[in-house]
Amino acid sequence: MTTIQDSLRTVRVYGILIALLGVVLLPFYVMFSSTLKSEAELFRTPATLTPDAVSIGAYQAVWGSTDVVLWILNSVIISVGTVLLALVLAIPAAYSCARNDFVGKRTFLLSVLVVQMFAPVVLIVGLFDVITELGLFNSYLAVIIPAAAFTLPFNIWMLYGYFQTIPVALEDAARIDGATQRQVLTKIVLPISKPALVASVTYTFLYAWNRLLFVLTFLTDSAKYNIPRGVFSMVGALQTDWRMMLTVSVLGILPILLLFAVLEEHIASGMTAGAVKQ
Amino acid sequence: MERVFRSQKLRYVHQHRWAYLLIAPAAVFLLAVVGYPIVETFRLSLYQSQASAATETFVGLAHYEAILTDQAFYDLLYRTGKWVLAGVLGKTLLGLLIAVALNADVRGQKFFRTAFLIPWGIPYAISAVVFRWIEHPQYGALNAALLQLGVIEQGVGILGNPDTALLGVVVADIWIGTPFMAIIILAGLQSIPVELYEAASIDGADRYQQFRYITLPQLKGVLFIATLLSTIWTFVSFDVIWTMTRGGPLNATTTLVIQIYQVGLENGAMGRGAAYSVIGFFVLLMFALVYIRVYAGDDL
Repeated sequence: MTTIQDSLRTVRVYGILIALLGVVLLPFYVMFSSTLKSEAELFRTPATLTPDAVSIGAYQAVWGSTDVVLWILNSVIISVGTVLLALVLAIPAAYSCARNDFVGKRTFLLSVLVVQMFAPVVLIVGLFDVITELGLFNSYLAVIIPAAAFTLPFNIWMLYGYFQTIPVALEDAARIDGATQRQVLTKIVLPISKPALVASVTYTFLYAWNRLLFVLTFLTDSAKYNIPRGVFSMVGALQTDWRMMLTVSVLGILPILLLFAVLEEHIASGMTAGAVKQ
Repeated sequence: MERVFRSQKLRYVHQHRWAYLLIAPAAVFLLAVVGYPIVETFRLSLYQSQASAATETFVGLAHYEAILTDQAFYDLLYRTGKWVLAGVLGKTLLGLLIAVALNADVRGQKFFRTAFLIPWGIPYAISAVVFRWIEHPQYGALNAALLQLGVIEQGVGILGNPDTALLGVVVADIWIGTPFMAIIILAGLQSIPVELYEAASIDGADRYQQFRYITLPQLKGVLFIATLLSTIWTFVSFDVIWTMTRGGPLNATTTLVIQIYQVGLENGAMGRGAAYSVIGFFVLLMFALVYIRVYAGDDL
């Protein structure tokens, strides 16, 4: 009897989960199915639920009529640059705080936390001045630098928390064997910290990939647009090429879907670690 | 031989020089990229400064006076409050629902957990244009659905109408922000000791009672942090609103951060925009202090 109840319960749980997921993913379905419709069908009222005839015409046209490849390349440059800069700054700082007690550490860590609260949009006017004064306007660095700054808090706290859990004895043993401080960090600490690093890299990469604000404000050169900026540029005041815009959108989220598929549970656990200490 | 230092302080710094050297790059970087713009924003808010002209004139608190004595500012605050309240409420309730469903002990839980996260992981501008398409007055799926159901007789322009535009954008913002809520709440649910439920079911508590008297009280801490963070993020949400409506029509979707961007960057009135920033700044500071008390209060 319990087994029947159990399997009924399992069916119910899956039913609820699938129904909820269906609702959550519905916008993706609308986006994707729209790109498979012919131009005539796309602009029919009322909209059709499924394409009458699947057409890949939009995907053939998108390469020629938009700069989608360039935008994806720029997104990669900006995201990778941000990850590198953020980690180069965060790793030493987090390691220092995890291994030493010194005057000002508390102040440093709390100030970093305050930065996380201060969303860039509130500082955008002052930031605009800084970027122009530094002569960075219209360079990739104009986006990479602020993105790295605003992801630093997450990275420092995440790595600080993780480094603390690594036994000092492990490092001491390596030092007795003659390892230098740099070797201790690169050969012992960082390899053990892989889960935390994966979370850091994912968070920073997605942050830089997804945000529109910095690119919108600091890059006016369309040859440097990334995916969000490219999509934004396709929104016309009077007329919008919906078919191309939705197709670019699908292509723009493909790399992220791949990332999700590869990293799976690391993403969820990394996100949680950043906000709630367990 | 020990080096001789003129003061205790210098000796201390020398002894801990590695600790300081390692945090120095991050500290200097943050001071330059975040600290300096904060100071610059405060300074600019006291000046008449146009992006188009190189001149600046000191005006003291004139910007603040102009803003605070204008009824439009209070409308702006009210609208921002509505935006935050609707967004956070939607994200929390939907997040709770998804988290409870995900908390069931079934195979494939990890797959579902990741799949639910996807809306959070994609560019906000893309979500925004997809929702624009869904809400399109002629070709949108939403209108098609409402027509089929007989709710409306002809297509409605949700985003083009000042009465409904905010709702049209909030829906997209909720869609983007819900996954974070769900995952944080799920982590909270998973940390509740199973024994509590076992004890309750021995005492004859039904599922609703267990949820009401065990789950919710145990979740209080996590829910507090999650809604606080969500409040901050909803308050500063920029990309979605800017891509969907740019604050229009007739300012119907202009929140405080949209106002900052419109005034300070679009119109190039940097001084006035900076004054709005400072106001937004104090709102954030309020939230930040609460967050820090809770997050790091007794841990450092």
